[in-house]
Amino acid sequence: MLVMILPLAVQAQKQEDIFRAAGSPHNPKVQIAFNKYYTAEGLAALSKKIADAYPNLVKRQSIGKSTEGRDIWMLAITNYKVGDADRKPGFYIDGNIHSNEIQGGEISTYTAWYLTENFEDIDYITDMLNERVFYIVPTINPDARNNYMKEANTGSSPRAGMIALDDDRDGLFDEDGLEDLDGDGSVTRMRRKNPNGNMIVDPKDPRMMIEIGPDDVVTGQRYEFLGSEGIDNDGDGLVNEDRPGYYDPNRDWGWKWQPDYVQRGAYKYPFSAPETRAVADFVLSHPNIAGAQSYHNSGGMILRGPGAEEDLSTYNRADIAIYDAIGKKGEEMMPGYRYMVVYKDLYSVFGGELDWFYGGRGIYTFTNEIFSSFAYYKTKERDRNQMYKFEKDLLMGDAFSEWKPYDHPTYGEIEIGGFRKNIGRATPGFMLEEELHRNMAFTFYHAHHMPRLTISDVKEKKLNGGLTEITAYINNDRMMPTHASQDLKYNISRPDYISINGAKVISGMLVNNEDFGVTTEQVNTPEKIKVANIPGNNVTKVRWIIKGSSWNTITVDSEKGGMANYSKK
Amino acid sequence: MFKTNSFIPKSFWVLLFFCSAVSFGQSNYRNFNEQTNALKRLQSNHPEAKLQSLTKTVGGYDIWALTLSSGDPQDHPAIAIVGGIDGSLLLSTEMAITMAEDILKNHSEVLENTTFYIFPNMSPNASEQYFKDLKYEHKGNAKSTDDDRDGAFDEDPFEDLNKDGLITLIRVEDVTGDYVKSKEDDRIMVKADAADGELGNYKVFSEGIDNDKDGKYNEDGPGGIMFNKNFSFNFPYFKPGAGEHPVSEKEHRALLDFLYQQWNLYAIISLGPENNLSSPLKFNREGASKRVVTSILKNDAKLNAYVSKQYNKINTAKDAPSAMAKGGGFFEWSYFHFGRLALSTPGWWPAKFKGDSTVKAHKNVKANYLQFANQNDLSNVFVDWTKIDHPDFPNKTVEVGGISPFVMQNPSYDKVAELSKTHTDFILEVAKLQPNISIENIAIEGVNNELTRITVDVHNNGFLPTHTDMGKRSRWLRKIKIELSLNKNQTLISGKKIDLIDAIDGDSSKQFTWLVQGSGNVTLKAGTSHTGTDSKTITLK
Repeated sequence: MLVMILPLAVQAQKQEDIFRAAGSPHNPKVQIAFNKYYTAEGLAALSKKIADAYPNLVKRQSIGKSTEGRDIWMLAITNYKVGDADRKPGFYIDGNIHSNEIQGGEISTYTAWYLTENFEDIDYITDMLNERVFYIVPTINPDARNNYMKEANTGSSPRAGMIALDDDRDGLFDEDGLEDLDGDGSVTRMRRKNPNGNMIVDPKDPRMMIEIGPDDVVTGQRYEFLGSEGIDNDGDGLVNEDRPGYYDPNRDWGWKWQPDYVQRGAYKYPFSAPETRAVADFVLSHPNIAGAQSYHNSGGMILRGPGAEEDLSTYNRADIAIYDAIGKKGEEMMPGYRYMVVYKDLYSVFGGELDWFYGGRGIYTFTNEIFSSFAYYKTKERDRNQMYKFEKDLLMGDAFSEWKPYDHPTYGEIEIGGFRKNIGRATPGFMLEEELHRNMAFTFYHAHHMPRLTISDVKEKKLNGGLTEITAYINNDRMMPTHASQDLKYNISRPDYISINGAKVISGMLVNNEDFGVTTEQVNTPEKIKVANIPGNNVTKVRWIIKGSSWNTITVDSEKGGMANYSKK
Repeated sequence: MFKTNSFIPKSFWVLLFFCSAVSFGQSNYRNFNEQTNALKRLQSNHPEAKLQSLTKTVGGYDIWALTLSSGDPQDHPAIAIVGGIDGSLLLSTEMAITMAEDILKNHSEVLENTTFYIFPNMSPNASEQYFKDLKYEHKGNAKSTDDDRDGAFDEDPFEDLNKDGLITLIRVEDVTGDYVKSKEDDRIMVKADAADGELGNYKVFSEGIDNDKDGKYNEDGPGGIMFNKNFSFNFPYFKPGAGEHPVSEKEHRALLDFLYQQWNLYAIISLGPENNLSSPLKFNREGASKRVVTSILKNDAKLNAYVSKQYNKINTAKDAPSAMAKGGGFFEWSYFHFGRLALSTPGWWPAKFKGDSTVKAHKNVKANYLQFANQNDLSNVFVDWTKIDHPDFPNKTVEVGGISPFVMQNPSYDKVAELSKTHTDFILEVAKLQPNISIENIAIEGVNNELTRITVDVHNNGFLPTHTDMGKRSRWLRKIKIELSLNKNQTLISGKKIDLIDAIDGDSSKQFTWLVQGSGNVTLKAGTSHTGTDSKTITLK
């Protein structure tokens, strides 16, 4: 009955009783609460609602199956009434590659919701969906998202997908994982009274433990920490040493991939996990993708490659300038976030998603690490204890399990307690919508600057002998070129084609310098000029010499830059 | 064909047919269907042989895996043998099948200790080119690729301009060219040697026309991705035949998925272009100490040297050309990314013509080969240069000619049986070296009437260490597990119930000791999948 009553209650809210808040869809068809997190099935249901509500804007498709057989749902969002969807410059978004880094699922969903609910309401969004297509995959790791939410975990586990691996190389697979011994829904910490322990309880806050210094005179009860909640399941004298996984889906991508002994976390070979393979196959079959974003947590970072120091030469100055422009805009848009380079500001790592997107496909790609301690008190001044303060003063004590006694099979009388898994990395509910919105706005800025091609002008000039010279001006009025320099270096995307139709073409050429008449002739197929690149914020010029003066259309056909047409007036 | 007598079992005729077809009657390399039939016959004639298809390639060919084992294949340490790594090496597939047959018929006792996983042909689409009307050394699978990355797929294939069924070369007389006829043998075209004052007067291309008018010849023919260019070690990004990313093809994934599940594998023998058996890989300190390791590790280099010595005792052919993959190779993968004892040989190479008092040996490899062919009366190895009309060079002298495809990579078929036997003998030697864990020197002492002290040596009886140095680093080789199983009335006072150790060197031991309280029997198990496992029941004092 409750299920029946709830939607009625929502509908009962009359439109005239609502005052529009700037920047948010004021009368959404699809009602979604963005102060909570959703399981894989929850996200799948939301994406279906959005797709059902906006059939002309959303096509929902499974791009593959996860290890446990779940669909990996993708929303392709554009105005399907204008142009050919898969020929528009594409922007790819995914979340949750790391199981416990969940916000990407909600940012993706929020982005899909915001785009559809604001179409034809906000011009910026309408233009965006007329000119671009968004491919949004809220979770590329649905199995382990659920494992994180439903099974015994800390805020940092699991990171891997659900393929069982033998972490301790003893011949058994995932035989010794974490346990939620006290049944509070989270794996917290174990401590034990020990007269020689190095910790005491903070006399001012019983949640907190203080480390004893060498000169401290301690009169209170001493404790020792015994690690995360769990037992020695396989009797090998180690606790929790072979957990679900472990491999890291973000070490599974096919750019300069390295095996596990070089790059901890790599699985068998590039794209050996079904989820990353599904994304790779999707991207390989969508050469129109020109920009991409993946969402992780945490730390408040806007990351670009290279991931590995050894790969430094892949990123050159022209592309870095574009990354810098977008990344620095991101720092403004997302207070507390810093624009960083993975290999030098985080760690040097092979096989990451953003490296394959850029190195392997020439797609400008960022990874955002959502949420940082900046958010607690909106200040960069860090206080070691601010999470305790915040948990008490702003979450009213909702995120900490008080220390309670427990009888452990190996350790005997212990106590279990600590922060639950939904604090520390996952954004607390009341701040979530803002975080989703700011990250989405950042991707819009990025998507806005994908190449946008128009034929801005065509000039005709009569030549002797009944010939006509036709010069076409192809304008790219956004920051990104049709080919990133990595793309140009290796011809990842084919050249852009600029063609004239309905003309008897004698000769075709690229105009290098219009004023001085410097051109480069293309002898073969002169009616279809192949241009290696159409740079950003620039005009590219091509010229044909035709017999007579008749022609019909000029078309531009670029894999990443999309299509443009011009008809003879 | 055969009249079947009722008292002769049908399998006899099958066997007879098999022998005649393979060992005696066969006069040329077998095509894919014949390979498949031969493998199926091995399975039906030998209970130790199990044939399975790992996948079907884009071109529709099965990738066969033949397992030879006595009992459960996982019960013994295993060797993998991989053929067809390079589709133009027809010999490798023949050898893999013939070696399997030889092991099953003449050396089945080795299966009591060693399992073999044999993958005869990883490039079936490519090797079939040999059996087509137009022969050329094809290496790719059937996936349509844009080899020159110009946006068009398969738009510039070879053309058989002289209609001889072979793709060789064209040479065009042109002062702007940088080739000349070799001084050693004017049938061979070489780059003009500026240091020697030579001026080029020919252009040389592969046989065909420039279909897409881009100035390059036959640079984007039908297919495909090369088996030996699509692996993850030093992957040649964006090079023709490499694929868009490592391990992108069905046959690659199927093979690796299979290998990653065979925890008993300790050695992989590649029958491919690379050769670390005629001369071993050399240790390079700088390459071995980088994060991305590019040199064989020190102890593994010693192992390689030893195994190479054994190989050269058995295969006495000299002057093997050294050849390492230019990235993406399978052999390199099997060592650098899979950590196994990795061995590779093409199995055959043309013997070097040494020269005598009347004829001096040529230095140029092709010119020398022609001398060798002449000495051995080999026919059809060279297509003599003949003039043709070439549409791309209307007013120039153009000739077609050159060394025939396949002949420098593959011996005449009559050599196959002997080469296979040589390599079977070598592989049997490798099997003798395999790691072999046993529990030795069991000492059981009563301590104060209450406790029993157990001391044992866990011994590797093999010449090879349980793990290569690279294998120690790899998560894909298990550690050696020593496990003492007690019942409820027995208590472990000292020592570990389960101990995992990284490795034991060849012919070496590690001592373990336990103190147990209680009476009755305890069970001790030591070893892991690729080293064999030993188990002993010990009675407490």
